[in-house]
Amino acid sequence: MRKLALAGIMLICSIAHVLAQSRTITGKVTDEKGVPVAAASVVIKSTNNGVVTDADGRFSLTVGASDKTLVISSLNFEPLELAIDSRTSYTIQLKESVSSLDEVVVVGYQQISKANVAGAVAKVSGAEVANRPVMSFDQALTGKAAGVQVNTSSGLVGDNVIIRVRGASSISSGSQPLIVVDGVPISQGNDGQLYNPVNTLADINPNDIESVEVLKDASAAAIYGSRASAGVLLITTKKGKAGAGTLTYDGYVGVNKASRQLKVLNGDQYNTVINKMRSNAGLTSIAAHGDYNGDGQADVVNTDWQKEVYRNGMTQNHQVAISGGAGKTTYYGSLGYNDFQNYIIVNRQKRISGRLNLTAKPTTWFETGIKMQYSQTTSYGLGSGTGGALSGVPFGPLTAYPNIPIHNEDGSYYTGAGGNSPLNNTPNPVAVQELNFDTRDSRRLIGSVYGEAQLIKGLKFKSQFNIDQLSGYTDQYWDPSVGDGSGLAGLGQTVSNEKRVWSWTNTLNYVAKFNDHDINALAGAEYTRNRGMFYYAFGVSINDLLFRLIDPANYASTGVQNGNTENNGLASYFGGVNYGYKNKYIASFNVRADAYSGFGRDNRWGYFPSGALAWRISQEDFMQSIAIIRELKLRASYGITGNSNIGDFPALATFAPTQYADLPSLNLNNPGNSSLKWERTGQLDVGFDLTLRKGLHISFDYYNKKTQDLILNNPVLATLGFPGNIITENIGRLKNEGVELSLNIPVFNKKDFTWDADFNIAWNKNKVLATNDNGDDIPGGNSLVRPGHNMSSYFLIRWAGVNPANGLPTFLDVNGVRKQYDHSLPAANRWTLVSDGSITTAISAADRVLDDKKTPYPKLFGGLAQHLRYKEFDMLVDLQYSLGAYVYNNTMQNLMVYTTNRNKSEYILNAWEKNGDATDVPRLFWGDNQSAQVSTRFLEKGDFLRIRNMQLGYSLPNTLTEKIKLSRIRVYVQVQNLWTFTSYKGIDPEANANGNVNIGLGIDSFRPYLPRTFTGGVNIQF
Amino acid sequence: MKRIIFVTSTLTFLAMTGCQKKVTDEVVPNDRLSSELAFSSPQKIENAVLGAYNALQSANYLSGRALIYVDLMGEDIFDKGAFFGDLARFNMLSNNGLPATVWTAGYAAIATANRVEAGITANSSLLSAQKAKELLAECKFIRGISHFYLVNFFAQPYVFTADASHIGIPVITENFTANTPDANKPRAAVKDVYAQIISDLQAAITDLPVTYGTTYETRTRATKAAAAGLLSRVYLYQNDYPNARTTSLNIINGNYGTYALQAEPNGAFGPGKYQTSETVWSIPNNVNDNPNTNNALPQHYFPNGRGDLAISATFLNASTNPYFTADDKRRTAMLIEGTGANEGYIFTNKYPDVGTRSDWAPVIRYAEILLTYAEAAARVASGVDADAIIALNLVRDRAQVTAPSYTAADFADKQMLITAILGERRIELAFEGHRFWDIMRTKGNVANKYDNDGITILPVQNFGAEKSIMPIPQLEVDKSRGVLLQNNGY
Repeated sequence: MRKLALAGIMLICSIAHVLAQSRTITGKVTDEKGVPVAAASVVIKSTNNGVVTDADGRFSLTVGASDKTLVISSLNFEPLELAIDSRTSYTIQLKESVSSLDEVVVVGYQQISKANVAGAVAKVSGAEVANRPVMSFDQALTGKAAGVQVNTSSGLVGDNVIIRVRGASSISSGSQPLIVVDGVPISQGNDGQLYNPVNTLADINPNDIESVEVLKDASAAAIYGSRASAGVLLITTKKGKAGAGTLTYDGYVGVNKASRQLKVLNGDQYNTVINKMRSNAGLTSIAAHGDYNGDGQADVVNTDWQKEVYRNGMTQNHQVAISGGAGKTTYYGSLGYNDFQNYIIVNRQKRISGRLNLTAKPTTWFETGIKMQYSQTTSYGLGSGTGGALSGVPFGPLTAYPNIPIHNEDGSYYTGAGGNSPLNNTPNPVAVQELNFDTRDSRRLIGSVYGEAQLIKGLKFKSQFNIDQLSGYTDQYWDPSVGDGSGLAGLGQTVSNEKRVWSWTNTLNYVAKFNDHDINALAGAEYTRNRGMFYYAFGVSINDLLFRLIDPANYASTGVQNGNTENNGLASYFGGVNYGYKNKYIASFNVRADAYSGFGRDNRWGYFPSGALAWRISQEDFMQSIAIIRELKLRASYGITGNSNIGDFPALATFAPTQYADLPSLNLNNPGNSSLKWERTGQLDVGFDLTLRKGLHISFDYYNKKTQDLILNNPVLATLGFPGNIITENIGRLKNEGVELSLNIPVFNKKDFTWDADFNIAWNKNKVLATNDNGDDIPGGNSLVRPGHNMSSYFLIRWAGVNPANGLPTFLDVNGVRKQYDHSLPAANRWTLVSDGSITTAISAADRVLDDKKTPYPKLFGGLAQHLRYKEFDMLVDLQYSLGAYVYNNTMQNLMVYTTNRNKSEYILNAWEKNGDATDVPRLFWGDNQSAQVSTRFLEKGDFLRIRNMQLGYSLPNTLTEKIKLSRIRVYVQVQNLWTFTSYKGIDPEANANGNVNIGLGIDSFRPYLPRTFTGGVNIQF
Repeated sequence: MKRIIFVTSTLTFLAMTGCQKKVTDEVVPNDRLSSELAFSSPQKIENAVLGAYNALQSANYLSGRALIYVDLMGEDIFDKGAFFGDLARFNMLSNNGLPATVWTAGYAAIATANRVEAGITANSSLLSAQKAKELLAECKFIRGISHFYLVNFFAQPYVFTADASHIGIPVITENFTANTPDANKPRAAVKDVYAQIISDLQAAITDLPVTYGTTYETRTRATKAAAAGLLSRVYLYQNDYPNARTTSLNIINGNYGTYALQAEPNGAFGPGKYQTSETVWSIPNNVNDNPNTNNALPQHYFPNGRGDLAISATFLNASTNPYFTADDKRRTAMLIEGTGANEGYIFTNKYPDVGTRSDWAPVIRYAEILLTYAEAAARVASGVDADAIIALNLVRDRAQVTAPSYTAADFADKQMLITAILGERRIELAFEGHRFWDIMRTKGNVANKYDNDGITILPVQNFGAEKSIMPIPQLEVDKSRGVLLQNNGY
């Protein structure tokens, strides 16, 4: 900001610098190694008179007799003041600023100067996530850090955001990273109680975030021990700085619409296609326009259900924040309001949040502070369920008959069948949304208080108590007149649920410097308790629609249930030393011991050590001559982390009370496994950080992660009779190997125009080394985990296209023999060889083939963020890309079936008609259930490049802001999800229907499109 | 200052020690019992036995879907709601989800029975010898009935080969507490599966009580009559008519308690009528414990529910259901016309409790016992059997308005009587999970079967066709590494 203002000021000055008794001085600005510093500003103190240095660091400036001091400043350097003496030529050496080299990084329970960090840590600044029209801050992390894959499952409010740091680290245990806000490990994930997902990270106001640090390698993450195998996200919220207070307002308003829409048939096309399908099979027509107004004539109706269910949603965000400090106290407070009205009618999320961060230092040896956020979030979910449910979105609008009207003549919702079509089990998509609801109100308090005492010089004891309390009330209703509600004569359900997490952290931190030795040692203990429960009530068969509380007086039957959602605890002890010698050699060692309540007593403790070495080679004398390198650090680390995302009591064989109607009963609820122990991931990381003279920064890492004793929900034979056919066992090994590269490139850096590009790319390869003793496959959806193969490789029957001679679908059997299917023949004769037409055996599950090259995990992914500034204008272009992933297009599969008369994709219009037609859509034939069976026909490449965010801003020049007594004002427009370049035909290449899983990701099955949001906003600092 | 530090650090240390316990050892479940406690009292043991019934009560099994599938594969109903996909068309793929849920639910019930059997045996000192015997007999009944439904869904009928040596299903009689390869059993021959079922049911008849403390339990837990009723059906499926006759006669003669038909057809259906003496054994449901919205019998069958299953013209028309007279009381008692979107379709009125989804699943009803006896007696006799006619009349007469009772004179020969009994059985036991298997055990073909639209007639499904039985769930075949063989045609 200061630079910006300066640029403006200098422009004015250069016009009018006519001064008497002036003389010209010249000079050269270099860094400590004598390398010229370009674009440094050289200004005469207390005046507006100044210039910037050229590419060789040279400048020339006219000074008057009264001018006493020069102020020289440049990005990454400490400002320098220099007395003007009689010399006319100056050689000025600038010192690199603390902020660039001695920037502190939060790693676990201590802060370490960035130079002394030996592990792999990526930092995303708060500005990168603030003011984005996203539903939760995690969505805004997409493409921001190398190796951190952030996948937004769909455009539905609250849908899962899948974060994978360096690939999936487990098969059936959780792979979400641990998230810590200001030292508070917070609960995350889906907290939806009924039909709609609720992302608990949406409770956090993104504009309060100062920075997000991603601890990627074992050395950085191991201090979090058992919870760190999937990486750690450390979020630091803003705090006040000593000095004058500031007041800021940030706001935006905008609209959003579906970023993409699949095309389905209109009423006329629909009638033609369905009847063609029927007549090809020798059956009577069933699709026709019906008589809806009762005049005895068929009414031509073409309803575009997508148009009816989607709208332009309104998005707005307002935040007021104060920040500052006085004496020994600093403060930051904010009040935020966010309203994300989605493009799907009724779908909406509103959040009101307040934050207060205070620190105080009443004595020289004692500091205390409190950091607290309270928020209230209301999510208006889709009333009749989401996704692929019959009345869900987008299933309903995509498959409902296009030849039926929305309303009857009298204005009521049309709920009948279409034309003379006898079947209709997709309820009126508009009616189900408008009549039903699934609303959730949640309240969340995340906070901590700490006290820190300096016991002796350098030794501090800190005790911090944390809470994360989340409570929600879900109120759901199905109207008796439509959809699922009609079968129940109306349904009301409510769920109150709570999550209470407390933790208590005590640390001793010793920081000292003796001559060339830098020591930062830590010892600590932490206790965490997670508890969650729900209280559920329902009423069936409603009496009066206007009374909706669950009350036996208003429902034919009601019921209640209480239950647990979470019940576990973790005790931890940890310690570590970070040692630096001569600012060149860095070694760090950490160890953590964790006891998790969910294991049997004998296997409860797990020990997680890690170590790292780093060499700041650029500090060596022999490097001083290499002027181009400002900083080069080589890093290597190895460590072991664990995973406790395994549920509450997986080790314990338990029986739970059940009901045999009126009779109380008791059933096995978990077969248990007393020998269950910690899952461990050993991770090697080798990398370097390089900063060049021109400001180009490169970080590179190679990692190799091996997870063993995988805690696997081992799918076992049904004949064992275990609930869900699953037993939790320590079986299998998994390997993730990859490289990450991130570049910060100052492409262009001139007074009026700057252009920075942040680019990152990651390559990850994930291989399953072993499963259980039998080497069993572990199936999940259309994918498989098989030893020796890539994680979650697709396992499908191979589609071999449509035979152009006869329009029949063809497939390859397991040996690669091409077979075709003709549904018009008697059952025994339907499968024939394409080669000679002879009758053959059917294509079946035995013909599925594992394709190692095709998995839902991208091979390469990352982002490119470009920041441009021209005078008062700034621009941001945020790109996200992903290459090499495959997506199973289950949505398309459902829209291409020949066995139902639901609406179809427009691709069906390409169906084969006559000999020689080259098409991928088989002949229309009613009842043919083979052509659209699960096969590679619907497996598609998921490569994409997404313009995730684009912003154009304008900051008022200081001359103007000063007049209106503001210190800063910026207006901007931005668009989120502007465009996705992809050949993928389904809903979205990132669509994910299966939630937070490791196997079976990448199934696109009727999840709503991502919203495209246009906003205009303003940032004001008073 | 030093003292403050000392005191503070001591207190902190103590608090930390307490905390460690609080977050580890003291974290115990409050909603379940560890397995050591599950059989630690007579009440808990009894509840565990009821847990085995609870397994049978699965939505995917005897409380709903299993009964539905047997009718859906027959010709008397059609899948108007297109809810069951390719099942009714005999055109499933091996990864179809419906067979997988049946298989899992069936073996879960078997495993539960075996688990409880082991629990009772290990803790028999807590029980009287008599009580232990009765509870073990209940386990045997549950294991027997579950094997019986599974073998009929997943294997060709007993009569498919002369000696029933064709492939059946795995027979599981052991209790497994860990993931062991012992559970990976190959499919036994159908005759061996039947042998196990018969042995379990015979033992159950010996040890089971005639009644329990409450009528509710007598109707919903295994009794001598329930085990004998099922056994008579097993014999019928084996075409072992002498045994079917003797076993059903034992019930009719009152050897296993008192059972009788209600005065009106449909007298054992609908709220308030589940516990009459016409019910031999039903799976109970109530508002809090039922198969729910997408599985319950009333949801699928009743027009105001989901109304997926409509009655076919084949069932309604005399030409294809010749014994269903125009004035048969069951036309009004057990059938109901749809309204609104369901107008023009006929549904069954046997499961009307959509509001609470509490309709019981009528697995064994006294009418079946009478008809089984009638058929077995008619088949065993050399001529037209008079006792068979009496049993048939008991069922038939309560539904007839004008038609007189049958007499021996009405039947030219024994075969005519058998045909009449089978015709009556189709009507009386309609929508209770009998039809398709009654066709199979008599080596019949499924003809005049309607597709979803209720208009299109599907091709005739001949006896012995490969896809007349469900595929072994592909996932199970995969998990068994080749031990479980897939059915032909899948």
